[in-house]
Amino acid sequence: MTAAMTQKILLVEDDNTTADFIIKGLSEQGFAVDHANNGRDGLFHATDGTYDAIVLDRMLPGMDGMSVLNAVRAAGISTPVIILSALGAVEDRVAGLTAGSDDYLTKPFAFAELLARLKLLMRRANAGPSNAVETVLTCHDLEMDLLSRRVKRGSRALDLQPREFRLLEYLMRHKEQVVTRTMLLEGVWDYHFDPGTNVIDVHVSRLRKKIDGEDEPTLIHTVRGAGYRLGSGE
Amino acid sequence: MLKFWRSSTARFITLVFGIELILAAGMTLTLRTLTRAELERDAQDFAARLTNEIGTVYLDQGAENARKIIALRVLLSEGRSAVVLLVGADGKPLAGNLKGWPPTAKPGWSEIGLYRSGSGQLEQMGILVTPLPDGAKLLAGQVLESDRRLSGIVDRATGTALIFGLPLALFAAFAAVRIINARVDDIAQTARAVSAGRLSQRVSLDGSGDTFDRLGETLNAMLERIEALISELRIVTDGLAHDLRSPLTRLKARLERAQIEDDEDSLRTAIHMAGEETDRLLAMLTTALQISRAEAGIGRDHFMPANLGEMVADIAELYEPLVEDKGFAMEVATGTGPLVPMHRELVGQAIGNLIDNALKYGAESLRIATGEDGGHGWVEISDRGAGIPEEQREEALRRFGRLDPSRTGFGAGLGLSLVSAVARLHGGRIELGDAAPGLKVRLSLPLA
Repeated sequence: MTAAMTQKILLVEDDNTTADFIIKGLSEQGFAVDHANNGRDGLFHATDGTYDAIVLDRMLPGMDGMSVLNAVRAAGISTPVIILSALGAVEDRVAGLTAGSDDYLTKPFAFAELLARLKLLMRRANAGPSNAVETVLTCHDLEMDLLSRRVKRGSRALDLQPREFRLLEYLMRHKEQVVTRTMLLEGVWDYHFDPGTNVIDVHVSRLRKKIDGEDEPTLIHTVRGAGYRLGSGE
Repeated sequence: MLKFWRSSTARFITLVFGIELILAAGMTLTLRTLTRAELERDAQDFAARLTNEIGTVYLDQGAENARKIIALRVLLSEGRSAVVLLVGADGKPLAGNLKGWPPTAKPGWSEIGLYRSGSGQLEQMGILVTPLPDGAKLLAGQVLESDRRLSGIVDRATGTALIFGLPLALFAAFAAVRIINARVDDIAQTARAVSAGRLSQRVSLDGSGDTFDRLGETLNAMLERIEALISELRIVTDGLAHDLRSPLTRLKARLERAQIEDDEDSLRTAIHMAGEETDRLLAMLTTALQISRAEAGIGRDHFMPANLGEMVADIAELYEPLVEDKGFAMEVATGTGPLVPMHRELVGQAIGNLIDNALKYGAESLRIATGEDGGHGWVEISDRGAGIPEEQREEALRRFGRLDPSRTGFGAGLGLSLVSAVARLHGGRIELGDAAPGLKVRLSLPLA
């Protein structure tokens, strides 16, 4: 993906180690990051409205993250917000999401997870509401017909189980993006719990066996330490 | 003093005393009214009998005989002061003990003040005036003065009773308060003992099943729960310390070794290992936290009805490739339903843990089934492993309880404890049984 315009991200986080970790990671990915270390400054920056996304810590000195979020939304700013929080129970997630955040990530988190979710949010925000109903998804020579529920790789028809179909559909809707294991569990199985073992990996590797033939270029890539990416090339 | 009167004790005394007072007043009033009515009816009866007798004699046997019977009746009048006056058709008195025909007397019963002959005292009398067929008029009745006295006695008697009754009522009120206070004090003492750390103290019950007994029972149940929670907390703290210590020690050892060796390869390995070790620690902490929250009853307001059969089938399907990769066979016998109100994430995690456990400690195959009986929806997972001996099953459900000290690996004891905490959160239960061979775990959740 070429960054024609540098995307700006606001990070509101009071813990300096975490903040440096995120700033460094995002800068390496080509984002411009502004950092506020308390809620009040964060709100001040956020109302500026020029950010592509906001990463908001929930527990902040002065003004807590939820109040910042409420104030931002009350001001009519619809910048996508992802909440970072040490409060990881489902109830906290629900509270965060109903207060108007677009995603919720529990601390501690893998940077790759944050990055994947941020990119997803920004892409969604930029695409805007699309009314066109897609009936065919494609990626390279992989083609998925959502109506007849048929999948082809080149001229080869693929026989997929219903769940494999949904897994592939999710990957194709997010092609060329990194999707993490938790994103897959949420998106395909609609669960937030930790299955403990490498359950998702097994599903993906089965799907991969069906999709990527011996002499075909690989489409499902494993992204080390993060998850998977569907797409051609590296 | 003002404080005392605001207290519920004072209010209670006032209430009991007040009610007793009202009761006494009501009884007195009723007694008076009834006595009065009875006396009046008696006077009327007497007047009627007198009129009947004298009237009959007068009409049948003439005025002379009537005069005799009147004289007799005035003298012997059943302990009453009878008054009689018979006047002829010409209006002249024929016989009787009244000074003259009272001008206000009308036919029928009335109570008026009159003078007896030979007496200067106005007396209240109840009289019956009857016109006779030959134009004569008969007045018969009695002086009510003695009746007045009787009802006066009743009034005095009740008054006296009240004077003695008031202190008694006050005493009764105080006694009732004393009894209540004693029972409340007993409960308060238990609470104080528990606050002071004697957690096994319980409210003594008298088995009567009254309000205080029920309160005591409820409190005892609560104390039972608190004691269980605290002892579990101790187990957790100890267990957490124990379970966290070994991965942390490993982590520290690896990092130190990498520091000493100081070459790129061992650093890379150390970082990789450290990452895995922290993931494991975090997963353990998350589970421990989930258990604590479930035990504390947090999340009950997030219950939503979900189809247990479909949900279990979904989760089984999630684990299916993993099961196959492990070389296990999996039999899934779930239908649709029942609908169970639940915390979907936690129940999902619990079912996942059960499958995970069956994979870790079972062999060859596992079987997953759902069903419904006795107001509960259940999911049952059986493996064909070594199972758990009956006497160790209780221990297996306890948090961090490790059945086999040599059993290692991530969160060995946490899996089943979370399931049991989730069961408790839903008011359901978990039962361990024998799948002959293997372990059978059944999680039952109430339907409503």
